[in-house]
Amino acid sequence: MEIEEKLSVLNYKTDKSYAHITVNLDICETCPDRFCTFGCPAKCYTVIDNRLNFKYEDCVECGTCFFACSHGSVKWTNPKGGHGVKYKFG
Amino acid sequence: MSEFDAIVVGAGPAGSSAAIRMANKKLNVLLVERADPPGSKNVSGGILWGNALAEIIPEWEKDIPLERLITHKGTTFLTKDSSISIDFRSTKFLENHSGYSVLRARMDNALANSARKAGAMVVTGVTVDRVAKEEGKVVGVEQDGEIITSDAVILAEGANPRVAIDSGLRKPIGDQDVAIGVKQIIRLPENTINERFNLKGSEGFAGEYVLSYLEGEAEAGGFLYTNKDTISIGAVISSSKLREDGQTHSYDIMESFVQHPHIAPLLEGGKLEEYSAHLVCEGGIDSVPRIYGDGYLIAGDAAGFSFSNGLMIQGMNYAITSGIAAADTVIEAKERGNFSSDSLASYERKLEDSYVLKDLKNFRNIDKVTWSRVTHRAIPKIAENLLYSMYHETGRPKKHLMQMILESSRDSGMSKSQLILESYRMMRRM
Repeated sequence: MEIEEKLSVLNYKTDKSYAHITVNLDICETCPDRFCTFGCPAKCYTVIDNRLNFKYEDCVECGTCFFACSHGSVKWTNPKGGHGVKYKFG
Repeated sequence: MSEFDAIVVGAGPAGSSAAIRMANKKLNVLLVERADPPGSKNVSGGILWGNALAEIIPEWEKDIPLERLITHKGTTFLTKDSSISIDFRSTKFLENHSGYSVLRARMDNALANSARKAGAMVVTGVTVDRVAKEEGKVVGVEQDGEIITSDAVILAEGANPRVAIDSGLRKPIGDQDVAIGVKQIIRLPENTINERFNLKGSEGFAGEYVLSYLEGEAEAGGFLYTNKDTISIGAVISSSKLREDGQTHSYDIMESFVQHPHIAPLLEGGKLEEYSAHLVCEGGIDSVPRIYGDGYLIAGDAAGFSFSNGLMIQGMNYAITSGIAAADTVIEAKERGNFSSDSLASYERKLEDSYVLKDLKNFRNIDKVTWSRVTHRAIPKIAENLLYSMYHETGRPKKHLMQMILESSRDSGMSKSQLILESYRMMRRM
């Protein structure tokens, strides 16, 4: 099963005006390990044409990328106002 | 004069337990939760050992949504081809309840409701940005530039403690503090679950797994719990080993577990209801930050209170007990009219007298057992070779046990002396 299929069963209340995680792509450009792309269980971090690509909309708010990035690129905050993933089971 | 006696950040087991306790003692309590409804951000890879709840919710087995009473436990090594288990069933579990499988979105919502009923003000869908400080003392919380004041703040925000980190009350989490938890909820008819796991009525199975079939440096444990009509299945992945490996994806580890030839038949025909991820506190006592200071206390996962030794994963009971201890500390501080660091220091003493800090101190370095080549590669390999040789007739002369152990240990990539030394250390730590 692909990640898209697994995430498609989830409910999100996406905050279109606020990205709770931001990434400094200038830092990622020269990153030697890109551990975020192996760590993130929702595959929010992918490499396309050797460039890092990030989408916060699929984030399940685990916090892995925050400590996975040891180069100071990932800035992590909690979504605001009840936005983000909404688990039914947990 | 503060608006509240106490503000609790986070309505999980730690925060709601604290709020219930303080509200029961007529304190003016605000419980703030960023999820709406409470519980909808929470995920558990554990079993609820509810005895701690009895102190604040005497009828907890009725009032809290529980899935199944665990009567059947398993610990299993999974190699590429084989499954080697210790299977433990006991009728004693029916008298002395060992724990329940739970679904946290439901359980935590009920706990927050109990806090509301006890008299706490519960606000949901509100994200606290940081604590508010005055002359170095915590005097409330800040959200969107607005400050809400209180005499004490209890931070119970879970394994990814943004408020504590962003307020400078604890150092950022690192590889050594947390594992990556990935989980799926699979729906199956109740009677299918009962048949597949050999259960009756509302009996439940809780299994822990060592995923020793993984390649490279990656190490992960697995869990499988039966709920009423769903199965919780997940992987707990060592952060530092995944980083060291640098090739394996956390997603693929979860996927390989559910597709393993000895796991897939248990899930066959099931419908994926949820995919989730959450950090798991794994660092033990060395990950515990300073848990109190002027005007604040830290409880539950936010303080690193959880325990895992490979045979079981526990966190919710530590959360509940630490939440209650934090609440009692604030109640006493209010009687004294003193919320300074000195006055709140009794929180740590309470935890030192309870299993929370005793367990963490007694099992310092247990992570070196749960995350080791011996546990994840050598033991499973040796056990697999031994059992296969014993149960399988080759038509060739049989080998002695010791010869097989030595041969198997070579296969596992560890030298004999390494294996002996590591095994000795392991027994000491467990």
